[in-house]
Amino acid sequence: MKFLRSSLIAILGIGICFIFGFSWRDVQHGETPSKRSLAALVGVKDTSSLTPEQAFREAYNRILGSYIRTVKPIDLKYSGMQGLMASLGDPHTMFLAPRIAQEFSDQTRANFGGVGAKLSPDPLGARISSVFEDGPAYASGLRGGDVIIAVNGLPVGSKPLEGIVEKIKGPEGTKVKLSVMRKGHDKPLVFNIKRARIITPTVESKYFPDSKVGWLAVGSFSEPTATQFDKEISKLERNEMKGLVIDLRGNPGGLLTTAVDMLSRFVENKVVVTMKFRDGREEAARTYPGSLHPFNYPIVALVNEDSASAAEIFSGCLRDYGRATLVGTHSYGKASVQNVIPLVDSSSAKITIARYYLPMGSYIGRKVDDDGVYLSGGLEPTVKVDLDLDADPIMGDPKSDNQLRKAIEVVLSKK
Amino acid sequence: MSPNSKSLFVSLGVVVAAGSVVVGSYVRDRVDLGMRTLPNSQRDFSMQSLVASRDPDQQVPEGDFFYELTRLVKREYVEPITDDQKLASGAVRGMVGSLGDPSSLFMDKSEFTAFLNSREGKYEGIGAELALVNPAGIPSGAAGRGNLQPTDEGGAEEMMATMPKIPRLTLVAVVPGGPADKAGLKVGDMVYSVDDHWLVNSDLLDRFRAAQIDWAAKKITLRDLNKLRKEIRTKTDRALLPLRAKDRLMLGTTGTLKVTVDRAKSQLTVNITRGTSSMPNWSVKGDHVDYLPFTPGAADRLKDALQGKKEVTLDLRNNVLGEVSVMRDCLATIAPAGTYGGFINQRGTKPTPLTLTKGVSSHPKIHLITDFSTRGAAEMFALALTSNGLATMTQPTGNQRKLIDIIKLPDGSGYTLATGEYRTKLSVPTATAKKGVK
Repeated sequence: MKFLRSSLIAILGIGICFIFGFSWRDVQHGETPSKRSLAALVGVKDTSSLTPEQAFREAYNRILGSYIRTVKPIDLKYSGMQGLMASLGDPHTMFLAPRIAQEFSDQTRANFGGVGAKLSPDPLGARISSVFEDGPAYASGLRGGDVIIAVNGLPVGSKPLEGIVEKIKGPEGTKVKLSVMRKGHDKPLVFNIKRARIITPTVESKYFPDSKVGWLAVGSFSEPTATQFDKEISKLERNEMKGLVIDLRGNPGGLLTTAVDMLSRFVENKVVVTMKFRDGREEAARTYPGSLHPFNYPIVALVNEDSASAAEIFSGCLRDYGRATLVGTHSYGKASVQNVIPLVDSSSAKITIARYYLPMGSYIGRKVDDDGVYLSGGLEPTVKVDLDLDADPIMGDPKSDNQLRKAIEVVLSKK
Repeated sequence: MSPNSKSLFVSLGVVVAAGSVVVGSYVRDRVDLGMRTLPNSQRDFSMQSLVASRDPDQQVPEGDFFYELTRLVKREYVEPITDDQKLASGAVRGMVGSLGDPSSLFMDKSEFTAFLNSREGKYEGIGAELALVNPAGIPSGAAGRGNLQPTDEGGAEEMMATMPKIPRLTLVAVVPGGPADKAGLKVGDMVYSVDDHWLVNSDLLDRFRAAQIDWAAKKITLRDLNKLRKEIRTKTDRALLPLRAKDRLMLGTTGTLKVTVDRAKSQLTVNITRGTSSMPNWSVKGDHVDYLPFTPGAADRLKDALQGKKEVTLDLRNNVLGEVSVMRDCLATIAPAGTYGGFINQRGTKPTPLTLTKGVSSHPKIHLITDFSTRGAAEMFALALTSNGLATMTQPTGNQRKLIDIIKLPDGSGYTLATGEYRTKLSVPTATAKKGVK
């Protein structure tokens, strides 16, 4: 009897130890033991009752072992991880394989030298859409409208723009030879330009005397943007202003604090954006008092699908507080905050951890389908107009830029 | 009990307890990671966290990677995630997609259900079987992602420039009397657009490149080049990926689609109303077998049909989704025992011969009616017979000789995986395997 009791206790003890060992993984992660794993232990071998992890493993082993061609295990693993992250349907949640993760961080750190000009595509090479006034290109005599047809003597006709830009960029202090076609010249002009470190101006402005409308383009929201914005506004206001077009097309966003700074010129003590975390925690950013600027004229904010993040917050707030009319095409729809988590094999996971909402409570997050094709999201402009690419538009030139033309028309109709 | 034996019992107890903890943890690994033995170095890893340290040389086993990444996403993502299987299926979708192979495809639940139905001859949509087929001149298997890259840097339209040669969505079988058949579509038609959404293909890129060369040689004006550029832009703005188009054409039983197809050198546009349709049943008229689906039971029916005949005609057209095992049984009703080629792969492993252990010594004279819509098991059947002089066939078959596994996932989605390719002869297997599929 005593033997029976002690052996019962022993068996029970062994059982408890086994269960402890079995659940160790969960205990370690502070989770309750998984029921699915327990069910699988009871010996269900039907393939339809595989745990998700088994289903993944089964497919992984099957592809490696029986696919008609040889597959590199590491590539297959990373493709699987990319698919796992993509299944959430959020374009900003993604898996970055080691090589890509490296490129990503190189890109954000890189500091290139250049000539100080903005380029746009042209069949002959690259058209200079604007030249920065304090850059070396301007000093050498390069002007907007010039078309670069060769770099260091090599023709660049019909090459992709990115490649041409890459060739022109280079270390500070080195030289680059640009051959340029200019109206009124039969032969190409050749410029030898010494590259310099370029601080891209983020705000650019133009006054159109015939319509008496000011155009102010904000390229991104970086640290000096608010100051540059004030400077350009006062430059414009030396003229008679019947309206202002703030051009946010192609603005990928940037610092939220800069957007808040700039919005404080328009409204005070107002919520700019509310961030909602998954645990229900909310954080709001507000404009501050004392920086109001009297904009005594109607304002239009011009947006397109490349206007994202801070650019959407800025234009969305102007709209929500009735300070501007939106013109253009729907914006990108970036309404979330991401966290990049480095993983053990130097790959990383970029995961959306919070969402943000505009003052009127609307959520503008972009939705895509499984192939990454746009479904919905972004700000919907009040006046919709697509850019007519066939007119070979130069941004900021009302003659060729039909979206800007429409924006001017809209701003003049207000008042 | 003596103190000595008592302490022996206690220490034995401790050892057994510790042992069962280890066994428990091991069993858990086996349960979670599938029933494959893990090397010790890999098993140790599961006791650490994926985010704990960063060592570029560390190789993380895929099961642990999946487990840890799932856990990380579930902990960090802005929305609560309750469905782990969705993540797993997403991972499988990613892996299958990375193969870039038109015959290895991931399908979501509704696509997979329709796929299984079509294997039984039951169709939705326009009543046709559609497949990604490499246009003539491109060897099969070379169309995979990364294998074929544009060789020159030209190509002003970014999207076009980065586009590899893409297989075309092609009608490989048409259900007789079904919507597509009624609308006049034929086997071999390549889908050009659906509801005015252009299907991504490389023709435009080729045209644009040719135009660029012409422009550089001053054969055409800049205006002509820009006109073409506008056409490309308009089309790519409304482009539809081939597999999306396949869904529109093969799923659903309502609504009308405007479909434009390329046929020979011309284009044809038709309106088709989606509905249900079925392949005809197995039928024998005298010496003529109209339709021979390689589905279970086919071998017995074929045996009956051949009984006492001197000459039999088998129509193998519109025959695309048969089972290879059924095909082999059917083969055994016509052919003598022996080896009829087999399945090769490019992994460097031995080919699998197609062997009949039982066969027949005599059979009627067999005529096969074949064409482009004779694919898969039906095509192997035709090739096995004709290459051994056991039958004649009318037209070249569809060149779909892949051996394909079908795998269903727990959430009802599934995928196909090409595991081998049929060859009528296996004479020099190693050389063939190295040279690749021709």
